[in-house]
Amino acid sequence: MSTETDTGAEAGRRQARGVVERVRASPFLSDLLSNRLALVGLGIILAMIVIAVYARLFVDLEAISLTQFGTNPPQAAPSAEYPFGTDGQARDIFPRVLYGAWYAVLYGTITVGVSTIAGVGLGTLAAYFGDVTDNVVMRSMDVLLAFPSLLLALALVAIFPDGLGLWRAVAALTLVYTPRFARVIRGAALAVLEDEYVDATVALGAADPRVIVHHVLPNCLAPITVQSTLNFGLAIIDLAALSFLGFGAPTGTPSWGLMLSNGVEFGLLTGIWWWSFFPGLFLAITVLGFNLLGDGMRDALDPRMRDAID
Amino acid sequence: MISKRFVAKRLLLLVPVLFGVATLVFAILQLSPGNPARVIAGQRASEEFVRQIERELGLNDPIYVQYGRFLLDAAQFDFGNSYTIQRNTPVRQILRNKLPVTLELALYGQLIGILLGIPLGIISAVKQDTITDHLTRVGALSGISIPIFWSGPLVILVFAQFFGWLPTSGRIDAQRFSIEQVTGLITVDTFVQGVDATLSSGFAVSHFAPFFSAVEHMILPAATIGIYSMALISRMMRSSMLEVTRQDYIRTARAKGQGAKITLMKHGLRNALIPVITVIGIQFGSLLGGAVLTETVFGIAGIGTLLVQAIEVGDYPVVQGTVLVFAFLFTLVNLGVDVTYSALDPRIDQ
Repeated sequence: MSTETDTGAEAGRRQARGVVERVRASPFLSDLLSNRLALVGLGIILAMIVIAVYARLFVDLEAISLTQFGTNPPQAAPSAEYPFGTDGQARDIFPRVLYGAWYAVLYGTITVGVSTIAGVGLGTLAAYFGDVTDNVVMRSMDVLLAFPSLLLALALVAIFPDGLGLWRAVAALTLVYTPRFARVIRGAALAVLEDEYVDATVALGAADPRVIVHHVLPNCLAPITVQSTLNFGLAIIDLAALSFLGFGAPTGTPSWGLMLSNGVEFGLLTGIWWWSFFPGLFLAITVLGFNLLGDGMRDALDPRMRDAID
Repeated sequence: MISKRFVAKRLLLLVPVLFGVATLVFAILQLSPGNPARVIAGQRASEEFVRQIERELGLNDPIYVQYGRFLLDAAQFDFGNSYTIQRNTPVRQILRNKLPVTLELALYGQLIGILLGIPLGIISAVKQDTITDHLTRVGALSGISIPIFWSGPLVILVFAQFFGWLPTSGRIDAQRFSIEQVTGLITVDTFVQGVDATLSSGFAVSHFAPFFSAVEHMILPAATIGIYSMALISRMMRSSMLEVTRQDYIRTARAKGQGAKITLMKHGLRNALIPVITVIGIQFGSLLGGAVLTETVFGIAGIGTLLVQAIEVGDYPVVQGTVLVFAFLFTLVNLGVDVTYSALDPRIDQ
C-alpha cells in the first residue's frame, strides 16, 4: 500500500520535474513566468473564468433577466443585502454582473477562437503558397483592415437578423478580427519558412500538408497565442460596445455592455451611479487581465516573431 | 526626403483597396434585410406607393446595374439622398455638416494624448524599472483596458454630476448661444463669431462667452479620448526609447563626451519618435471608429451618432456614405503615416 503511494508520489515528482525542465528549456515560458505583471493578469483571467462558471451553474438566468418589482426595492444603493445595488427594474445587480462574466468569457472565446482558426488557415496558406494565393488572400484582408474595426462590425451587424441577439455581434466581430490574425500568422510563417530545417524537410520529400502541420504551425504557436490573448481583451470590449450601442444582447440580458448602456441612459444623470459602475468595473478588470498577460507574453516572445505582432 | 515614386506607388495601391471597400459596403447593404422603399414610404403606405418608389430608385434594376451606378456615384462622393433621418437631403451635405464635429473631437483628444503620452513615455524609459516606470506602465495598460463607454460615464459622474464643474453633454450651451456653422469646428466658429454683448438677457458677458462654453463642453469628451490615446502613445514611446538607447550611435555620442541628457534628447528622442508617429496615425484612425461610442456617451451629434441612428432606422444611403467616408479617411491617414514614416527614416524600403 505505502510503496504504491510512494511510487505514485515519485512518479508525480518526476513528472513535475519534467515540466519544470521543459519550462526552463523554453525561454518563452520561463521569461513569462518571471514577469510578475503577466502572472497578475493570468490570475485575473482565471478568477473571471471561475466567476463565469459559477454564475452559469448557480445563478438562475431567468430570474435575473426579469424585472423584480415587489421582491426588491428599485434603484437601491449598494448595501449588505445588495452589494452592487439594484437597477431601475428592481433587479439585484450583483448576480447580473457575475453572469456577465459568463457572457464575456463564452462569446469572447468563440469570437477569438473562430477568428484565430480562420486567420491561421488563411495566413499559413498565403505564406506557404505565395504568389497568387498570397495576393488574393492578403488583398482581401487589406480591404477588411481598411475600416475602423468597430465601424465595420456595426455595418456587418446590420446583415444579420435581430433574432440572433449576441450571436450577430459574434459573427460580425469574427469577420473583423480574422484579418488581424491572418496578417500576423503570415508574417510568422514567412519567418519560419526561411529556416533551413524547412528546406531540409522539403528536400527529404515531405508533402505540403506535412511541412505546414509539423513544422510551420508548431513554430508559429507562440505568436498565435500572443495575438489571441491581446485580441481577447479587445474582443470583450467590442462585444460590449456593440451591446452598448444596441446591436448585441437583447433587452433584459445580463451582459456587461447592455447593463452599462441602460445604466448610462437611465442612471447616470439621476444619480444611480452603481447601475453602470459595477458592470464597467468588471469589464475593465477582465480586459486588463488579458492585456497584462498578453503584454508579458509579447515581451517574452522571440524578437524575430515580435515584429509580426503590432 | 519623400520619394515621389514611393507616394505615387502607394496612391496607386489605394485604388484596389478603395474599390474593394466600396464593393464590400455595397454587398453589406444588399444583404441587409428590409426593403429601402418600405423604409421611405413608411409602414402604413400602400403596396402601390412602395412599388412606385422602388421604380424611382431603380431598385428593380439588375444587380450589376445597381452596382455600377453605386460605384460611379461613390467615386464622385455622391451617396444619394437620406431616406428618413433628414428626408431628401443629400447625404454628402449631411456628412459635410457632421464630419467636422467628429474630426474636431478626435483632434483635441489626440492632442491631449500626445501632450501627455510622449513625456510620460520618456520618463518611464529614462527611469526604467523604478517605481515611476512600473506605475506608468500599469497606468498605461489600465488606460487601454478601460472602455470609453465606461470611462466617459465615470468622468461625467465625477466632474459634471458630483463637482458640477463641467457640463454633461452637448457641444455648447444651446439655450444661451446660437452659433452659425461656418467651419463646423465649434471652437473655431465661436472664437471667430463671439457674441453680441447686448443680446444676452441684460447680463454683461464677454465676447468670448460662447467660445468658453464650447471649450467647457469639449473638455470631458476630449479628455476621455485623450486618456486612451495617452496610454497607447506612452507605451510606444517607452519601448521605442529603450530600443534606441541601446543603439551604437548613442554609445558613440556618449563616448565623444556628450552629456547624457543631450544625447538622449538630440539623438535618442528624434529616432525614438518615428514608431510613435505610426502609433499616433493608426490611433487617429481608430479614434474615428471610437467616435461612435464617445459621441453616444456625451450626446454629441457627430458622424458616429449619425451612423448608429441610420442603422437603427434603415437609412441606407446614410449608412453607405458614413461607412465609406470613414474607410476613406482611415485609409488616407494610414497612407499619410507610411509616407511620413519613410520621410523620417530613409532606411525604410521604398
